[in-house]
Amino acid sequence: MDLVRDCLDKQLEDRDHRRMGRVDGLILECEDGQPPRVAYVEVGVKTLLDRLSCRLGDAAARLLTKLDIDTEPYRIPWGKLHVGLNTVRADVEAEKTPALEWEIWLRKKVIGRIPGA
Amino acid sequence: MKKIVEIALGIVTSVGGFLEIGSITTAAQAGADFSLQLIWAIVLGGLCIIFLVEQAGRFAAVSGRTIPDAIRERFGFNYFTMLYLTLVIVSLLVLAAEIGGVCIALELATGIGLQWWALPATFVIWLVIWKGTFGAIEKGVSMLGLVTICFVVGAFLIHPPWNQVLHGAVPSLPKHDSVHYWFIAVSILGASISPYLFFFYSSGALEDEWRETHVGINRVIATGGMSFGSLISIAVLILAAMIFAPKGIKIEHYSQLPDLLVPVFGHKGFWLLVASLGIACMGAAMEITLQIAYLTAQGFGWNWSENQRPLDEARFSFVYTIVLLLAALVVLTGVDPLSVTIVSMVLTAATLPVSIVPFLFLMNDERYVRSYRNGWLSNAVVIFVIALAFVLAVVSVPLQIFGGS
Amino acid sequence: MKRLLHAELLLGRKVLALNGQSIGRLEEIRTKTSRGYFFVSEFLVGSYAVLERLAAWSIGRAVLRVLGAKRQEGYRIRWDQLDLSDPQQPRLICSVDELMPLTDGQYPT
Repeated sequence: MDLVRDCLDKQLEDRDHRRMGRVDGLILECEDGQPPRVAYVEVGVKTLLDRLSCRLGDAAARLLTKLDIDTEPYRIPWGKLHVGLNTVRADVEAEKTPALEWEIWLRKKVIGRIPGA
Repeated sequence: MKKIVEIALGIVTSVGGFLEIGSITTAAQAGADFSLQLIWAIVLGGLCIIFLVEQAGRFAAVSGRTIPDAIRERFGFNYFTMLYLTLVIVSLLVLAAEIGGVCIALELATGIGLQWWALPATFVIWLVIWKGTFGAIEKGVSMLGLVTICFVVGAFLIHPPWNQVLHGAVPSLPKHDSVHYWFIAVSILGASISPYLFFFYSSGALEDEWRETHVGINRVIATGGMSFGSLISIAVLILAAMIFAPKGIKIEHYSQLPDLLVPVFGHKGFWLLVASLGIACMGAAMEITLQIAYLTAQGFGWNWSENQRPLDEARFSFVYTIVLLLAALVVLTGVDPLSVTIVSMVLTAATLPVSIVPFLFLMNDERYVRSYRNGWLSNAVVIFVIALAFVLAVVSVPLQIFGGS
Repeated sequence: MKRLLHAELLLGRKVLALNGQSIGRLEEIRTKTSRGYFFVSEFLVGSYAVLERLAAWSIGRAVLRVLGAKRQEGYRIRWDQLDLSDPQQPRLICSVDELMPLTDGQYPT
């Protein structure tokens, strides 16, 4: 498997096929004398911004921290993932993960308060 | 029979996105300033968009992905960011122009200044998207949009010299005011080859649950819809050429737009123009709003669909709400909607390469389109459109500065 | 000692040879499975990272050749031939001659 072609930036779905973001990052676990092991996929704003520029990612993280917003990316262990053709399926329930934190917050605090939602 | 109805509806809905304030304004200016000479620009733009829309629909039907999905997956986040920022900024301006177009129609109808209509019109657009399903929005607005056929009827009733109309479909050099001529040509191409059209079409294909079996229907709908839309734009140009050009009148203010139809239909022409403008711009505004929300949701992997409740896709709903508010603010500033229209068409032309270059790769990528890869003709057209897009990108802003009205 | 590394931040980084010269940009990370885990087997390096990512099949390369882009082969670097202690500057720990060439058919499609 090629990590960039087959995994990075692919649609991430939970076990019920609910969209929960994209594979924004891939974490390798490195140990001396051993080949690096694919350990996690990562989902998060800082992970994405770091790909544009680490300075941008750090600045965004500082700003979000000042606003009391958690900037920790969400990591899914590789063992919970199945890589399909253009989708990566995670053996998790999306609503119970930090991947949908913003979705749930908007649902409760903004969208849910508008009539007809 | 069911297929014929599906095709007919598809063609009608495709027209809706094509005809909007940009295509109406640029066609009218072209006719007023250069008579029938610039019909070729509409024909060229129409041909390009037919191929791009067909490919966008085929891509979605076969791969089950939209174009923005594939761009993020295939080209990575950095390229997607460049595309995203470019498209959102330009689309916001185009959206402001469309809301402005709705407000112009309402001002013409009521006499109340267009700025007063900015928030109510935006609210109605938002409400339809909030409450409606994709199919209801698409078909409802498009059926109403059939009123724009009045332009075609008018173009026949005004008895243009048809040999000159055919002559105008062939590219020619300007007889006067070359810089302005090419500026209008570029604006027409920017209005015709709008990225939001083919991006929205690919999202719409998935909303309508198209599959591989829809590839044939897609070809007919893309060709029919975009051709019909081009025909209406040509009709607008013909009307302007026959009514304004002989008197040397330039179109510089939106209050002149009713004069496109009044000489042909009398007072009914005024209301036909108001209805056509209002409905066409409202339909386009909804498409552009949804397209910005689709682009955002698809690029970041969120849940999205116009067929779901807003509560089930809070980020998607939030994005289109904010987008509409921002566009409405532009109209509220009182800036002339026609100026916003022309600037947005030029910027669309200037940023085309970013949206179109990915097509060449995606439509030949077997991982997505399998055996439905582009043939030599489609690839040749995409390469031509890419080359054209680069030329437009280079010349559009200088032409706007030196040749814009 | 174990440490974690962001693979996506390696993309596009210049890979330096022993003499400090760049041999190309890191384009792809190939993995193999073993005992249920995925381990990195190779890093693929091309001369034009962005162009190659776009041109991973024939028509793309054909267009780029028509436009005059230089077509250069890349390298396949085994996991144990690359030092990633500084992820911003991946370095070879062997000579370039020891690397396997990346030929046309081996580019990721």
